[in-house]
Amino acid sequence: MTRRILAFVSLIFLAAVAPLAAQIGETNNTVVVITSDASNYVLHAGGTVAKMVEDGMEGILIRIGNDEKDSWDLSPEETALRTKQESEAAAKILGISKVISLGFRSSDFRDVPFTTMRDRLAYYIRVHKPRVLFIPNPHTQYDRNHDRYYGGRAAEDAWRAAAFKNYLPAMKDVNLGAHVTPEVYYFAPLVDPARREPESTGTFVPQPKMTDISGTLEKKIKAAQALKTINHSLAMRLKQRLDSTDRRLPLLDSVDEASINKLVEQRVRGLARLSAEGTDFQAAEEFRYAGVEYRIPASYR
Amino acid sequence: MGFRPDRNDILNRYGCLSNAAIRVDPAADVRMDSLMIRLLALLVMAALAPLSAADLPAGETPPGKVVLVPQPHHDDHSTDYGMAGLIARLVDEGFRAIYIRASNDEKDGRHGYPRNDMINERETEEAIAVLGMEKVISLNWRNNFESGYALNDLREQLIFLIRKYKPDVILGHNGWEHYQKNAGHRNVGWMLEEAILLAGLRNAHPEHFEMGVEPHAASYFYGKARLTWGLGHRPNIVMEFNADQQRRKETAFQLHRNVRAHPSGARSVRRQLARMNLYVPEFENLDDQEIAVLMANWSMEHISRLHGSHAGVEFGEEYYFKGEFYDLPGLQGYFEENMETR
Repeated sequence: MTRRILAFVSLIFLAAVAPLAAQIGETNNTVVVITSDASNYVLHAGGTVAKMVEDGMEGILIRIGNDEKDSWDLSPEETALRTKQESEAAAKILGISKVISLGFRSSDFRDVPFTTMRDRLAYYIRVHKPRVLFIPNPHTQYDRNHDRYYGGRAAEDAWRAAAFKNYLPAMKDVNLGAHVTPEVYYFAPLVDPARREPESTGTFVPQPKMTDISGTLEKKIKAAQALKTINHSLAMRLKQRLDSTDRRLPLLDSVDEASINKLVEQRVRGLARLSAEGTDFQAAEEFRYAGVEYRIPASYR
Repeated sequence: MGFRPDRNDILNRYGCLSNAAIRVDPAADVRMDSLMIRLLALLVMAALAPLSAADLPAGETPPGKVVLVPQPHHDDHSTDYGMAGLIARLVDEGFRAIYIRASNDEKDGRHGYPRNDMINERETEEAIAVLGMEKVISLNWRNNFESGYALNDLREQLIFLIRKYKPDVILGHNGWEHYQKNAGHRNVGWMLEEAILLAGLRNAHPEHFEMGVEPHAASYFYGKARLTWGLGHRPNIVMEFNADQQRRKETAFQLHRNVRAHPSGARSVRRQLARMNLYVPEFENLDDQEIAVLMANWSMEHISRLHGSHAGVEFGEEYYFKGEFYDLPGLQGYFEENMETR
């Protein structure tokens, strides 16, 4: 009797997911990366994205914010322009072929209507029909950059909305129908002490996942170094802090391109080491991952 | 049959009473020996203990000269879950301390909107003075109407005040706390997080520089939140303070008479104790106001001892602490190996 009930429930479940599963076959061999700001995805997902591109996927980057705030001595306009150009350079190093900049004002995402941001992202998901999506993790904690929360929330809902025909219905007329992205990687800075704790089983929530980036670490370092405006800002703020507290990093006695690049290299290598802790990898990145198990439990496949 | 509280109810509801020796009225036939009372007190302590993390480190005083305490309400500087003990310690160790009250607190109290606001503001000034704080800056956003205004405006004010007062240390509400029903705590905690980041960036509100301030990055953050409300707030440090600072914490807490230490609470406890033929010797010859203050003091002492015990110190408060370079985890090891003192 129990087996019959289980079989019946399985059939109901499969019937429910069938319309979604049918769409999965229409994906392109594309990875779409959505990032709220220029550095977040490079530092916390760049190595994995580069590896996917090396393995034959096409990479597309969507920048939500204009990154106008993060510079040392440039106007917001100049900062936004330079960081756009530098983001394109960094993406190119990672093998990403196209960068889409949406231009929302950085640090003010909260004032953007949620559906406005979500629908812009859902549109691009339907255009590019990715097999893999990278998004900022809106569920992570203790990250002070809340653009990542608002951008991540919009991206997560865009993933879902893109899969339903009744969202953005006007696009049907231009052949942009629903698209299910089968794999999603949530990335975040390594500041959440609970980041490796599974919140439930893989059927219900994305699971912690570590990826080996040993083969693409050097590429990731170069991509991070390409973000010159942001890196200069970090180095100058750090030096100012150290000077004001009578301390020094010999590396920053003279802040120039070489010293900044060295600082960035140390940062990227340090992050890779931290993420590799508890794994067999030498260098890693860590995510919350929603794959096939998230949609269809193993017992139903 | 009406509800009649038993001894467990009393002790659970008023954990402070575990500090007192509750006695049986000799005229009554109900027996409750001191062993039983101590056992019940232990049970209360045991029940509360798992609510907080155990074996936390006791933190050192961070370097600096200024501490800013932005909070949503008039009385958040001195709560059973933090702030006043640490504030008093920092002041005693030479910090200039400033309190920011984000809301007008018009809802809190029994006197209606404008009078509550005025009383609560006055009591804040009296209470923070006990802790040695320099002043209170009231932003006066309408209490619990947070969704009615642009939160970025509140954030902008916090950014400006961080730039003006240049705090080394910020004590705030932990915006990552789960199940917080009071929007004031959630929103002020959330805005403060962003303000700390953005105050250090020149392109965030450049109009501030016309007023003679400069970008400023505060380096140390202590976040408080209810320890009993889910997994969002898991403290990582205990900040110790001494007996004198504990006394000032008790005073700063109970000076908010508009909302705390009300005589009616004392009357209620005495009534419930009397129903069970119990009494507290310390209450004798005190009026209800004095008893209410005494119980408030016991409550604060009780919780400070409990939190202190998690780091093996007499009095303490638990916080989620973010250190100087918490947002650069990839560079922590490099800094430890290469940073030098001039």
